[in-house]
Amino acid sequence: MTCDSVARLIPLYFYGELMPEEEDRLEEHLHACAPCTREMERQRAMAAALDRRHTEVPPLLLGACRADLLAAIQGGAPRLFEPAKGPWTLFLEALAATLAGLNRYRTPVGAVALVAVGFFAARFTGAGLPASSLSPAGEVFSTVRSVEPDSSGRVQIAFDETRRRVVSGAAGDRDIQRLLLAAAREDNPAVRVESVDLLKSRADSGEVRDALLNAVARDSNAGVRLKALDGLKPLAGDSQVRKILAQVLLADDNPAVRMQVVDLLVSHRDDSVVGVLQNLVQKEDNNYVRLKCEKALKDMNASIGTF
Amino acid sequence: MDSLIRAAQRGDQDAFEQLVRAHDQSVLRLAMNLLRSPEDARDVYQEAFLRVYRNLDSFRFDCSFHTWLYRIVTNICLDRLRKRKVRKEESAVVETSDGPIDRMEVFEEESAHANPERAVWNRELNERIESALQDLTPRERMVFELRHYQGLRLRNIGEMLGTTEEAAKNCLFRATQKMRAVLGDCV
Repeated sequence: MTCDSVARLIPLYFYGELMPEEEDRLEEHLHACAPCTREMERQRAMAAALDRRHTEVPPLLLGACRADLLAAIQGGAPRLFEPAKGPWTLFLEALAATLAGLNRYRTPVGAVALVAVGFFAARFTGAGLPASSLSPAGEVFSTVRSVEPDSSGRVQIAFDETRRRVVSGAAGDRDIQRLLLAAAREDNPAVRVESVDLLKSRADSGEVRDALLNAVARDSNAGVRLKALDGLKPLAGDSQVRKILAQVLLADDNPAVRMQVVDLLVSHRDDSVVGVLQNLVQKEDNNYVRLKCEKALKDMNASIGTF
Repeated sequence: MDSLIRAAQRGDQDAFEQLVRAHDQSVLRLAMNLLRSPEDARDVYQEAFLRVYRNLDSFRFDCSFHTWLYRIVTNICLDRLRKRKVRKEESAVVETSDGPIDRMEVFEEESAHANPERAVWNRELNERIESALQDLTPRERMVFELRHYQGLRLRNIGEMLGTTEEAAKNCLFRATQKMRAVLGDCV
């Protein structure tokens, strides 16, 4: 074994990737060769230095990723089976609610997540409040706005109180619909998902249609956007809807949303779709979306590139 | 694990979720280590598991599920590394009054107060390591990451990357040579 051939085998020896007989021959050589032994030491030193470097996964990133995935799957990622909600799903839904708004405000994820958790942690039911501040009539929810300790050791806390009322009625009822439209703009994404889901079958009403368009274009939660897109299916031929969908397609950061928008746009062919899809193909990072666009363009006998 | 996969293939949502949970931490760690950006790691996670969700039916048990999943993840990461090479962008290093600091990196070092000289040396070593890793081709970076940090065997890595064990060996050799050249007398 020459020093040159040993140099080539040192990294593999270090990582335990040599055959036993190769290892024996290399060890024999190292025993008798000081320069190669030094090379081996350098390999070990480099690996030790690299071992001390590791990239930290921000706290709560895993939870945010799971919530994203859930939103995409629940919102209609195509699959052969119909998803049924399991315990993990319910857990993720709760998590998605906690991580409100993370989808759009991604940097820095850890910090935003902590702020979100801090915000929700600041909400508490009246059960923990002094009895004097509670209404006997029902639950009172409080959001702490400021906490100011003073020099005497006392603390001044400012909080907003909200009283809960419960109403019930048919989803088509005018008052219920008005509440659902308001709920579609609530902070809590779980509330928005549920409201938009109930509204989506009523897109024939102008107000609901506008709410769905607003959700598709502006909601920070991909699950809500996907539900709203579902509701816009019957209106996929409407020119104003198509105009907004084309804008969403080029701006939305979620591949599942872009996939669904492509489906909606190509379900009613018009010439402007071709240009939009050609545009997207040029800038699309996601292979799935790009392939979908390319297939749609081929189906429409349009060229994939712009000239 | 096989029964879980078969259940997920039959449409059992809970089984799919368990499958995700069994693998998603290592997927996220791999993406973070390679891309060093929580935003990118999050995108990789989403894209990878959506692909798994959509294509699980095509998994035929001719390799382990882990290998199949990593084939998907490494493809997505390689795409991103290649684009990044072209754009020369997205460094996690930020300039501070104490010099450049990698916002994603945790480097085990002695307290700067306890041993300031050691801290400076560590920082220099850290910068050299980053520079060395960035000098690798996306494929070399991937093989090195999977072997050194994820502890996978080269045969398995070759299988994931659609190449031979021999090609993975060559890649690892080139990667270590390049890094040793950049790290020079630091190690």
